[in-house]
Amino acid sequence: MQRLAYVRLSVLLLLGVAALFVTECSRPGDASPVVTVEHAISPEPPRVGPATVILKLADAAARPVPGARITVEADMSHPGMAPVFEEASETGPGEYRAHLKFAMAGDWVVLLHVRLPGGQTLERQFNVSGVGPN
Amino acid sequence: MRVPGLGRLFRWRYVRPLLQLPMLIVSFVMILHGLFGPTLAPKNLATTLSWLHFRGVLVLVLLCAGNFFCLACPFMLVRQMARRFFKPRFNWPRPLRNKWISIALFILILFTYELFDLWSSPWWTAWLIVAYFLTVLVLDGFFKHASFCKFVCPIGQFNFVASTLSPFEVKVRKLEVCVACHTKDCIRGRREPVSDLITIRGCELALFQPSKVGNMDCTFCLDCVHACPHDNIGILSRMPGAELLTDPLRSGIGYFSRRKDFAALAIVFTFGALLNAFGMVSPVYAVESWLGRLLHISHEAPVLGLIFSFFLILEPVVLLGLAAWCARTWAGNQRALLSLAVRYSYGLAPIGFGMWLAHYGFHFLTGLYTVIPVTQSALAHLGWPILGAPRWTLTGLPSNIVQVIEIGFLILGFAGSLVVTHGLAEEDSPAKPLRAFVPWAAVCLILWMASTWLVFQPMEMRATLMSG
Repeated sequence: MQRLAYVRLSVLLLLGVAALFVTECSRPGDASPVVTVEHAISPEPPRVGPATVILKLADAAARPVPGARITVEADMSHPGMAPVFEEASETGPGEYRAHLKFAMAGDWVVLLHVRLPGGQTLERQFNVSGVGPN
Repeated sequence: MRVPGLGRLFRWRYVRPLLQLPMLIVSFVMILHGLFGPTLAPKNLATTLSWLHFRGVLVLVLLCAGNFFCLACPFMLVRQMARRFFKPRFNWPRPLRNKWISIALFILILFTYELFDLWSSPWWTAWLIVAYFLTVLVLDGFFKHASFCKFVCPIGQFNFVASTLSPFEVKVRKLEVCVACHTKDCIRGRREPVSDLITIRGCELALFQPSKVGNMDCTFCLDCVHACPHDNIGILSRMPGAELLTDPLRSGIGYFSRRKDFAALAIVFTFGALLNAFGMVSPVYAVESWLGRLLHISHEAPVLGLIFSFFLILEPVVLLGLAAWCARTWAGNQRALLSLAVRYSYGLAPIGFGMWLAHYGFHFLTGLYTVIPVTQSALAHLGWPILGAPRWTLTGLPSNIVQVIEIGFLILGFAGSLVVTHGLAEEDSPAKPLRAFVPWAAVCLILWMASTWLVFQPMEMRATLMSG
């Protein structure tokens, strides 16, 4: 009876380890639509205070994608900090700019919520590591 | 326990599972969301609840009430269920019946927290919770009683030290009732008259109520309350920190002044509080970069190891060693330096608790409402948006208000440490208490100034320490 209990315990442990690998391998992949988003940030390296996110949208044939609506969201990597939301404005064919304010030094993650002219939506994210203190 | 309603609830035999069940459900939700939910920490329940709300509520409940987290510990509910299927056979090995393993694990958690930036990874946070459940199951599957709680659990040790400063304690009402008691059910457990089977467990942490002193090692499991046939044990109010002022023989512990492991725990608790906060402010990156350049090291682990060694070994040894030497020389104390350092190390726990309160209180209060949009988002992703669209702009109290509260916690901790070290000095050197007190007051002042400096530093939460 005791031996059976330890077998059960061992099986439980093995299942735990297996689950570790399964969940790591099954992280959701990126089902990208055929639009590429190039991004840049100014100033570089970024510091606490105002910053501009520059985005360039292009389709599969590398043609600019105008008329998109982009909401830029910036979150800190630590939970509990207030996120920053800004609407990007189109400054040229397929080029968009959003003015953010990094309130704290550290690592930020910028999320792009994009609605394309045809109504299709896509989400992108990039890291802004090491925003320095002022 | 005399409070109407509440007293009846705590006297009810199944109060613990009642409190553990919601915690267990929340733990499972955190694990699932951590493994399968958003990878961004501020949008995940695992990271938000672990690193903001759990820690914040934990320290505030410890400050205002007692070790009620251990009472509602979800790990113990799973252990209880598992023990229906396999009974532990072994006693915890005698050489390990101390706090050294748990101190090492406590430091390991602080270290991995910084090294792997656990706060920014829902996936690793979820696995940390899973690892905790598995460790409990394995250890308490093999070893009898509450071996995990008493000798291993790092959260438990944190709670034990912090709860020495709590205003409530599980203790005997009238000692004379215990003196007349022959069954000692509070430690042996209540047994059936004929079969001698235990129907209500006695204390699994080997704390015999009549000689138990304070909250150290007490998980508030209330087994003793339920086992006592005379209803002579309750959750009673007391002076916070009073147990640190005296050095009686404590059931299940011995004398504080002879327990180097307990003293080391108090030191790690205190200096670890400053270290943990230091890891979140801008100067840590300058220090790391400087150390990296000086030693030609580009990997973070050895640099972090050096910082940990400085904070948890060198700094305590220098500060406590100097203070003990000064106190012995000035007050003419005949004790050995190590013995003096051990005795007074408990006096630093209040200032350490003040720093934990300030740090965890800051994250909790400034991110108080963030659990709302994260929950809204989690439900929306499940296709069940009953709480509406996530309101990501909900955060918490303004940081300038929280900073005032932080300063209050630090002053409270500083005052507590002064009171405790002064009390110890009076007991130790009745002829020259002031001379014995001044060196320890200086240590408290240094720690308080360092804590206050930390609180005013700009926060900088990076997941890549060496990048700068």
